[in-house]
Amino acid sequence: MKASVGDVVLPGDYCEEISAVGEKAKVIIGPGLQKEIDHVYVTKAGILKKRNPNTYWVDNYQKRYIPARGENVIGVVVQKAGDIFRVDVGSSITAALSYLSFEGATKKNKPDVQIGDVVYAKMLVASKDMEPELVCVDSHGKKGRMGVLSDGFVFKCSLNLIRKILNPNCPLLESLKNEWPFELAAGMNGRIWIKANTMRETIALGNAILGAEYLSDEEIKSMCTNIATILAGHVS
Amino acid sequence: MGVEVDTKEFKLKPMKCEFNFLSKSDGSAILSQGETVTLVSVNGPLDIKMQSQSIEKSTLEVLFCTKGGKPSVADRYKESIIKQTCETAILGSLYPRSGITVTIQELEDYGGLLSCALNCTCLALLNSGLAMRFVFAAVSCAVDELGNIVLEPTQEQATSARALLNFVFESRNKNLLTGFSEGSYSESAYEEALERCRAASDLVFTFYRDIISKYSNVI
Repeated sequence: MKASVGDVVLPGDYCEEISAVGEKAKVIIGPGLQKEIDHVYVTKAGILKKRNPNTYWVDNYQKRYIPARGENVIGVVVQKAGDIFRVDVGSSITAALSYLSFEGATKKNKPDVQIGDVVYAKMLVASKDMEPELVCVDSHGKKGRMGVLSDGFVFKCSLNLIRKILNPNCPLLESLKNEWPFELAAGMNGRIWIKANTMRETIALGNAILGAEYLSDEEIKSMCTNIATILAGHVS
Repeated sequence: MGVEVDTKEFKLKPMKCEFNFLSKSDGSAILSQGETVTLVSVNGPLDIKMQSQSIEKSTLEVLFCTKGGKPSVADRYKESIIKQTCETAILGSLYPRSGITVTIQELEDYGGLLSCALNCTCLALLNSGLAMRFVFAAVSCAVDELGNIVLEPTQEQATSARALLNFVFESRNKNLLTGFSEGSYSESAYEEALERCRAASDLVFTFYRDIISKYSNVI
C-alpha cells in the first residue's frame, strides 16, 4: 500500500514521495525505512514522519534498545575485563567502555568505577556486526554530564517515553521542575535515573514520568499539578 | 485462478486485541477471533548460545504452549508453520548473531486456533518494533459436505467439514506465504477457497492498521 508523510504505516507499505525526492536530491532515511530495488519500504509500524531537508523516519513503539551511534544511554557495569568495563545497556549484547575514555584517565590513573555502578555514556560505535562501544568523554576530552551516576534511582520504560520527555515541546519536565528540585538523566535505551531530596519526591517523580506515556500535553500539565498538591500534603 | 470475489460479502469473526498485555516482554499481544483466544509474547533481539548463533541473521525460536500444558507432536507442527511464516516476514539480517523468541499460549480454542495464533504473532511482532518485510494475515476456511466453502468455520462446522484449508497472505502483493490443509477437496474448490481467503485477508490488514492508528497518535 502507498503511504505518505503523517500516515499510519505498517511494514510492507512503500512511500513514492521518498523515491521521487531521492532522484533530485540527497535523502536520509532513518529507522523503520529500508530501500529496496524498486521502492523505499516501511519495516516498522507507526507514523511516517519527515523533517526538512529530506529526512524521513517511522516513529514506532518499541521497548528493546538497538544501539545507535551518538545516543546517550544509561547502563550498568556488569564486568571488568582487562582494560574495559562491560556495560549492560539493554541491547542484545553488552557494550564496552574503555578505562581510558573517562576525563583525566591515564594508564596509571584509573577511574573509580565498580561493578554495579550506573554510568551515563555516549555510544561511539554501534553497528549490527560489532560490539557497541561507549565513551564517557566528548571529543574535547571533557566529561560534560557523562560519567558515573551516584545514588538516585533507575527505572526502565519504553523508548518512546524517553523521546517524548526529551522533546523540547513536552511540558512534563518543564512543569515538574517548578514544583520540587530533582536531578534526572534519561538514556535513549529506555532507562531513566532520578534523584530527589526525599524518597517521597523520588517516587512521585517516577510515577509522574511513567504516567505521562499515553497522556496529551494538557493532561500532563494537570497531572503534574495534581501530584504536586498531593506531595505537598494538601490532599491525602 | 480467475475466481471473481466481492469483498463486501465477507464477514470474519469479530476480532479484539490488546497490545502490551505482558509488561516484561519486548512485545506482546492478546487476540480473540470470535471465541478463540491466544496470547503471544515476543522477545528479542537477545543474546543466545554460541552454537545457535548465525552470523548472517537472527535465530528464531517459536514455542507453542497448549492450554493443557502437555507438549505434543501437533504442537511441533504448529510451531514449524509459525516459524516458517515469521522467518519470511522478519528482516533477520538486521540482527545478526542474536535470537528472537516467540511464545504462543493458547487460551481458548473454539476453531481456527492456528490462524488466530498467526495473526496474534504478527500483532506481537508489530508491537515489539522488530523490522519486518511485510505483515501477514491468516484466514481459515472449510469445505463442507456439499462442497460449499465456509470462511472461518465454527467448531461444529470444522468437525463436520470434508476439508480444512488455512492460508497466510503477505500485505505487499497479497501473495500466498503459507498454505496448509487437511481432508480431501477438488482443485476448483481449493482455488475458490484461496481467492475468497485472499479477499478476506484485507479485513485482517485493515484491522491491524486500525489498531496501530489507535495508539500511534498519542505516543
